[in-house]
Amino acid sequence: MDDLNQEIKQQTPPLRGLYSKVNISVKTLNIIIVVLVGLLIVCMAVGISKGGFRVTFDAQGGTTVEMQKRMYGELIEAPEPPTREGFVFDGWYLDPGAAIPWDLEEDTVTESITLYAGWKEK
Amino acid sequence: MAENKFKAKEQAFKELSSKDKTKKIIDLLLNNAMYIIIVLAVIYISIKVPAFIKLPSIVNVISLTAAKLPIALGIGGCIVLTGTDISAGRVVGLTACISASLLTTTFKVFPSMTSAPPIIVVLLLVVVVGGLVGLVNGFSVAKFKLHPFIVTLSTQLIVYGIILMYLMNGTNNGQTLSGLTEGYRSLITGTLFSIPTATGSVAVPKYVLYSIILVILMWVIWNKTTFGKNMFAVGSNEEAANVSGVNVSKTIMMVFVLAGMMYAITGFLDGARIASANANTGLNYECDAIAACVIGGVSFVGGIGRISGIVVGVLLLQIIFAGLNFLAVDANMLYIIKGLIILIACAIDMRKYLVKK
Repeated sequence: MDDLNQEIKQQTPPLRGLYSKVNISVKTLNIIIVVLVGLLIVCMAVGISKGGFRVTFDAQGGTTVEMQKRMYGELIEAPEPPTREGFVFDGWYLDPGAAIPWDLEEDTVTESITLYAGWKEK
Repeated sequence: MAENKFKAKEQAFKELSSKDKTKKIIDLLLNNAMYIIIVLAVIYISIKVPAFIKLPSIVNVISLTAAKLPIALGIGGCIVLTGTDISAGRVVGLTACISASLLTTTFKVFPSMTSAPPIIVVLLLVVVVGGLVGLVNGFSVAKFKLHPFIVTLSTQLIVYGIILMYLMNGTNNGQTLSGLTEGYRSLITGTLFSIPTATGSVAVPKYVLYSIILVILMWVIWNKTTFGKNMFAVGSNEEAANVSGVNVSKTIMMVFVLAGMMYAITGFLDGARIASANANTGLNYECDAIAACVIGGVSFVGGIGRISGIVVGVLLLQIIFAGLNFLAVDANMLYIIKGLIILIACAIDMRKYLVKK
């Protein structure tokens, strides 16, 4: 079996597979790699400088609540509770159906999230 | 042995002229550009957020690597055949949804069911489903001689349609599946062992062990079986392999079926790991897996790649993304960064073979 692989290797030109039709010089490729690496570093720098996860609040029919920007592992600052005609505000939830509650004093932010207001009828 | 090799290399380097020396150094820098960037980024992140190199974060990166490894091991085989597989993520989604719909306590998809089937039955079922999708991919690639990109694009769409219809079944109405059975969750995310720290202990989940087993299994398949050797032969030169008596069609089909089974296991693990499954589970997993393989030296030139490379590739990607997450880099920007990483990895891979030409 190893002989077979050896034989195949000898018969095969170095550029094959998806690269069999590559038509580019090493010099150009070097420039492309350097430019792409530069771009990657710029993107990471921009991403880091603009760092912060967006915490948006969906009041679900109540008065609007401003979004917040938080870093990894931080708590959310308790926002002014929204109000809604005929309902009592019941805290913030991770889902629109108000099933998974968000504890403002315990839960920390690890990604961009939207919190939904929970409402109870008066 | 290794030391002698190193010394010989050092000697050869000293004998070069200064012009050749600079060329050698530039070669080295460019060929390893990806690793250099990642190392620099990790150093920067650990200075800025020291918690990144603490034990909980390290265990987190290892767990994430373990979760993403099986899919990359599957796709690796397709790349060795100079192909690719973009249906992988959706197969993960489908198998995660099947696992989550059967091993549950609420039975929204099948309202007539009252108790969950044995876990092993569900595992076998999803592996068969994944294998079937792989068979469709492999058959079309081997017999129609279509490029895997086109074939797997169509299966990706078909599988996505099946996921959406599956989730509309029963009383579920397209909702996220959750309420998994305790047995299923503890089998996957239960504690393998915990490492004590100053402020408590960090638990290593059981799926890390399963991932290690799969890595060993794939290593044996790739390196010690006739099938593995045939796979590399077909990848490096299909005609030559055919002339030498390798059954090319069968080998291609088997690679895709094996890949499909790996995606199914990823889906099975992911359902319990995330504790829920919906139509978006597994979305874009194939991008991460392909990127990891290319970074790990599985080349698009065909017939070249090692299991250890794939493990390193997945680990490096998870480290960099966990780090960027610690710096609270926006998810939108992460997509651009991921795309650039794939492009750079391909350019570097191409450069290695262009220089040798």
